[in-house]
Amino acid sequence: MDLTKALTISAQGLDVQTTRLRVIAENLANQDTTGSTPGADPYRRKTVTFENRMDRALGTETVRVKEIGQDQTAFAQRYDPSHPAANAQGYVKTANVNSFVEVMDMREAQRSYSANLQVLEVTRGMLTRVIGMLK
Amino acid sequence: MDVSQIGLFALADQRLAWLDRRQEVLAHNVANADTPGWRPRDLGPFAAALSARGGVTPVQTQPNHLPGTAAATPPDVVGRPSERAPDGNAVSVQEQLMKVATTESSQELVTNLYTKYLGFFRTALGHS
Repeated sequence: MDLTKALTISAQGLDVQTTRLRVIAENLANQDTTGSTPGADPYRRKTVTFENRMDRALGTETVRVKEIGQDQTAFAQRYDPSHPAANAQGYVKTANVNSFVEVMDMREAQRSYSANLQVLEVTRGMLTRVIGMLK
Repeated sequence: MDVSQIGLFALADQRLAWLDRRQEVLAHNVANADTPGWRPRDLGPFAAALSARGGVTPVQTQPNHLPGTAAATPPDVVGRPSERAPDGNAVSVQEQLMKVATTESSQELVTNLYTKYLGFFRTALGHS
């Protein structure tokens, strides 16, 4: 039935936004993570992309996490000769995480999450109304 | 008594099927609001879907020919989206939620009419 499919699609939408939020949390928590040996690479920012894929078990297309990739932008460097990860010149590589970008991404995830939740609630209401016709 | 032979019930049936399908299509759009390259879809107007039913059927010139079934029309891609993100996604969440609200209120109207009409029959049968 189409309404139950709509419920599943919205639930899957909530699920992918949760994954996105988890990756954002990971990025924010690791924004100060550096390497521990001289010249080692620090934490590399992760990115999430989505795709619409056919789910054979459900017989409908649902949104899925396509890939949790890595942001290939260059690391920033900070002068700190006493740091364990400092290279021969005394520079430490720092994670390529920008907290402003992450917070904006978090807002967008929240917005998409509530939109999916709203559709879910409306669909549930429609389903309840159809069942109510039995009365 | 076959209720689907009565005009209003048959119409309500088709309308509900159309609204269910539309809700599914809109749920797709909202769930893919962050999918790169996704273009929002929608169903054609109900009036068009209604007039298309029972209109064109395959001709059977041989007894072996299959009568054919009315194929479920694939959702149309909206011609000109109102916005487009740099990644090619063209879903406007507000617009989709407005459509969801319209679908919901139409569904409410149909279910209420259906129940009401059924109530008339109950009255006529003396079960009120």
